[in-house]
Amino acid sequence: MQNLLGDKKAIFLFVFPTFLVFTVIIILPIFFSGYYSLLEWDGFSNGKFIGLGNYVDLFVNNTDGFTKGVKNSIVLAIVSVGIQLPISLLLALILARGVKFEKLYRTVYFIPVIISTVVIGQLWMKIYHPNYGMLNIILNKIGLGFLANEWIGNTQTALGAVFVALLWQYVGYHMLLMYASAKSISTEIYEAAKIDGANEPTLALKITIPLMKPILRVCVVFSVIGSFKAFDLIYVLTNGGPLHATEVPTTIMYTSIFAKYQYGYGSAMAIFIIVECLVATVIIQRMFGKDPVN
Amino acid sequence: MKRITKMMVSTLLVASLAVGLSACGNSSGTNSSSGTNNGTAPKAEKVTLSFWGISTAEPERSELEKIIKEWNDNNPDIQIEYSGTENNAYKTKIKTAIAAGEAPDIMYSWTGGFAQPFVEAGKILSLDEYLTDETKDQMLPGALDNITYDGKVYGITYGQMAGALYVNTELFDQYQVKIPTTFSELMTAVDTFNQNGVKPMITGMKDLWPGMWIYDMIALRESGSQLSLDALNGKASFTDPAFVNAADKIQQLVNAGAFGNGVLGMTQDEAEAEFNQGKVAMLFGGNWMASKMEADSSMVKGKIKAVRFPASEDGKGDPTEYVGGGSDAMLVSADTKYKEQAVKAATYLAKAQAEQGYLSGINLPTWKYDSLDQSQINPLAKEIMDNIITGAAGSVPVWDIYLNGADAKTHQDLVAEVFANQITPEQFGAQMQDKVNGN
Amino acid sequence: MESNVMTVPQMNPKSKFSFKTTGKALLSLALAAYAIIQVYPLFWLLLFSFKDNNEIFGGNVLGLPEVWRWSNYTSALTTGDVGVYFINSIIVTAATILLSSVMLAATSYAIVRMYWKLNNLFLTYFLIGLMVPIHATLLPLFVILRNMHMLNTYWSLIIPYVAFALPMGIFILTGFLNSIPRELEEAACIDGCSIYKIFGKIIIPLLRPALATVAIFTYMNTWNELMFANTFINSEKLKTLTVGIMSLAGQHTTDWGPIGAGLVIATIPTLLIYVLLSDQVQKSLIVGSVKG
Repeated sequence: MQNLLGDKKAIFLFVFPTFLVFTVIIILPIFFSGYYSLLEWDGFSNGKFIGLGNYVDLFVNNTDGFTKGVKNSIVLAIVSVGIQLPISLLLALILARGVKFEKLYRTVYFIPVIISTVVIGQLWMKIYHPNYGMLNIILNKIGLGFLANEWIGNTQTALGAVFVALLWQYVGYHMLLMYASAKSISTEIYEAAKIDGANEPTLALKITIPLMKPILRVCVVFSVIGSFKAFDLIYVLTNGGPLHATEVPTTIMYTSIFAKYQYGYGSAMAIFIIVECLVATVIIQRMFGKDPVN
Repeated sequence: MKRITKMMVSTLLVASLAVGLSACGNSSGTNSSSGTNNGTAPKAEKVTLSFWGISTAEPERSELEKIIKEWNDNNPDIQIEYSGTENNAYKTKIKTAIAAGEAPDIMYSWTGGFAQPFVEAGKILSLDEYLTDETKDQMLPGALDNITYDGKVYGITYGQMAGALYVNTELFDQYQVKIPTTFSELMTAVDTFNQNGVKPMITGMKDLWPGMWIYDMIALRESGSQLSLDALNGKASFTDPAFVNAADKIQQLVNAGAFGNGVLGMTQDEAEAEFNQGKVAMLFGGNWMASKMEADSSMVKGKIKAVRFPASEDGKGDPTEYVGGGSDAMLVSADTKYKEQAVKAATYLAKAQAEQGYLSGINLPTWKYDSLDQSQINPLAKEIMDNIITGAAGSVPVWDIYLNGADAKTHQDLVAEVFANQITPEQFGAQMQDKVNGN
Repeated sequence: MESNVMTVPQMNPKSKFSFKTTGKALLSLALAAYAIIQVYPLFWLLLFSFKDNNEIFGGNVLGLPEVWRWSNYTSALTTGDVGVYFINSIIVTAATILLSSVMLAATSYAIVRMYWKLNNLFLTYFLIGLMVPIHATLLPLFVILRNMHMLNTYWSLIIPYVAFALPMGIFILTGFLNSIPRELEEAACIDGCSIYKIFGKIIIPLLRPALATVAIFTYMNTWNELMFANTFINSEKLKTLTVGIMSLAGQHTTDWGPIGAGLVIATIPTLLIYVLLSDQVQKSLIVGSVKG
């Protein structure tokens, strides 16, 4: 077995194609971007080398409100971990312990994840619309009409409104990952614990959740990285507006590269996002400690 | 273990050589010649020209396909191969392709600031030596202004835009409101409609440009076309009272409730739909909006008049001037192997699309259109052509077309802040000057 | 659904019992309500696909369409060559899932199970891919694909899609492999089979549930992707379905009805495949949990 599993040729065959495709398609462009980020460049003419000038603009001069975008994305990451993941976990635990229509619910809860973001965006625009939006209509009907708002048209509420849509879209995603993990825990453990008189919440807290630690870490990492890279739904819903209230690093980057012809500057943002994600991942891994398996 | 890494790294190096690491590498221009490798072949070489455009939805798509088919049937040696991409996606696509040196032979482009970086980087063919006077004579005066850089023409326009104030005559009659010809009449109209619970105006500020159109229009009334252009060219300051007053007038409208309570939350699609349901008295917008108003599904069909935007009593601008100008153009890649043929085909495409666009009410032509059957033309489009463009003292492109990418965005953003009362008119002028003309 | 809730078998007939039933009923109610919220977009999309702009934007946002506009479907199906787009999407998506699955399984296996020193380094390396903002890669990728002469071919989509599916797939698969016991492989090895046979005959079947999960995510990202598909493909014959649908948006004004219809058409296979794969996940999960 040792020999088989140490077969260098096999390892090469198993890893190299993946390594090659990954390196050429994903890592190489990062190097390009890293280089572009040192240029003042519109994407067409000859770029001018300006060293770290773009990074200085981003954080010291804060020319395009980039730090505010970063702040928004960090808030998004915090509410994702603090609100979205607990909801996903709760649903996963309930479904995994067996309820009527378990399979139906599990299937249905995931649906928003598979629907195209174009559709989700259009839907939420209709929900939030000031005149005929569902949210305002409901508020009026239940006598809370004074709360009716422009939602994504109001700089005070837009960020919150966009976040709600984002959180909602991916609850099912994390739920599925957690559900799979919770479901794979042996039923014997539960039986044993039940004999000792433990109730469901105790079971969940004392047995299920600790055993789910690896997947919880995965979910936290995905959630944080996903927040730092969030783009599609925000682009469709507000494109960073109104008055830049819902700007996140990716929307500013997209605008810089494709609308403002600031390719070098936008590339600096891309590099920052990668570094930011790396740092966050390392911190999260540290916080969760080492993987119990292996 | 080391061997594995070594193997991987060395193979990767070989692969990366094959991939080629240079970003700015210049490929052989176009990849469009189909199956004709014998470069020394005499004449009658069959040429295929790639053409990228944005006509993807009906009816434009079928119309363009018809136009191309006619060309291909008549010119067996020069075939046009069309590839259409949706409007927004096209902006990303064409920039990426040009940046990578993979531009098609003929491409659609917006004029002004959108095409400027391509032109400055030498990616677009200058057409001066190809365009004959005979061709130019068929075009309307000023048709090539917005695609001329440093005195050289880089494209052939086919469509122009014009801002029009659309008024719902039914609502105006019902509440006996005079169609405004001056700004104070406009304010009166706004008040009257508001008192009667009718939304006076609507604009899709979420898309930013619709409100900017209104500002640019009022600015033109305040400043006159020369001063507007001077400021856009950095020869005059945006702190001029004309531009500050224009911002002030926007806020007067907003504060009088001309656009209802919230102005920032609505897209232009939503705004137009509400107007077309007959719920709103006025809409200021581009000529193309006419085609939807006159569509069968529209509830305001036949009830809409397109008029000039009201004059400013204290403004320096001539009340016949309009925002718009040539906006859609055909460009030819500087890298094309078949310059002569590409220009010929681009000229044909421009002329044919000018006519077709006018007939369907999507575009106002930059080419002479006397030969067209006038009865076939969309009535509102004709009204705009006859009442707003014909006899106008001048025009200025909407600023997000005239300015280049970053400045265009800055302008849109600042106008949005004016609409939201986030900045004063003076701050608007100062910031425009600082951010757009400051560097 | 409420009536079902009431007849939930009562397994613990004691005094706390009625309290528990109410709790259960409330729970079921909450689950059902949440389910409705999650399916609502599909229902809304279906209604949307029969409306025109006047209804979609204000006239009638929530209700049933005044007229069921089947013409939306006709326009969606007749603008461009939807049949061809559909087949292209299937080819690209299927090839992406197939290729990425094999690569993922092999690489994850080598990283978790095989003996070499740099496995953790490679794992970390692949995970960097999760952090790359995709929009920044467009121009470099365009250049790379051009130099490989792949632009305007299926490969210009399949290869990037595979590449972007790798990081998360490896993440999930290595985690999964860590959780299954080694005994099975070792037992197989006594029979003296080769590493390739172990991989093909034992590991791949073992990985099926995790591969199905990964495939769902890969499918979603591939089927709905717009930016690469718009930029790398010029030929009408190679366009994908999502691109075809979004082409229904006009330069100035957009009829949203046909787009809605197109999106319904594009969503149906998604739902089918999802239900199919999710069944597979479910079954394999049960097998897995019995094993412990």
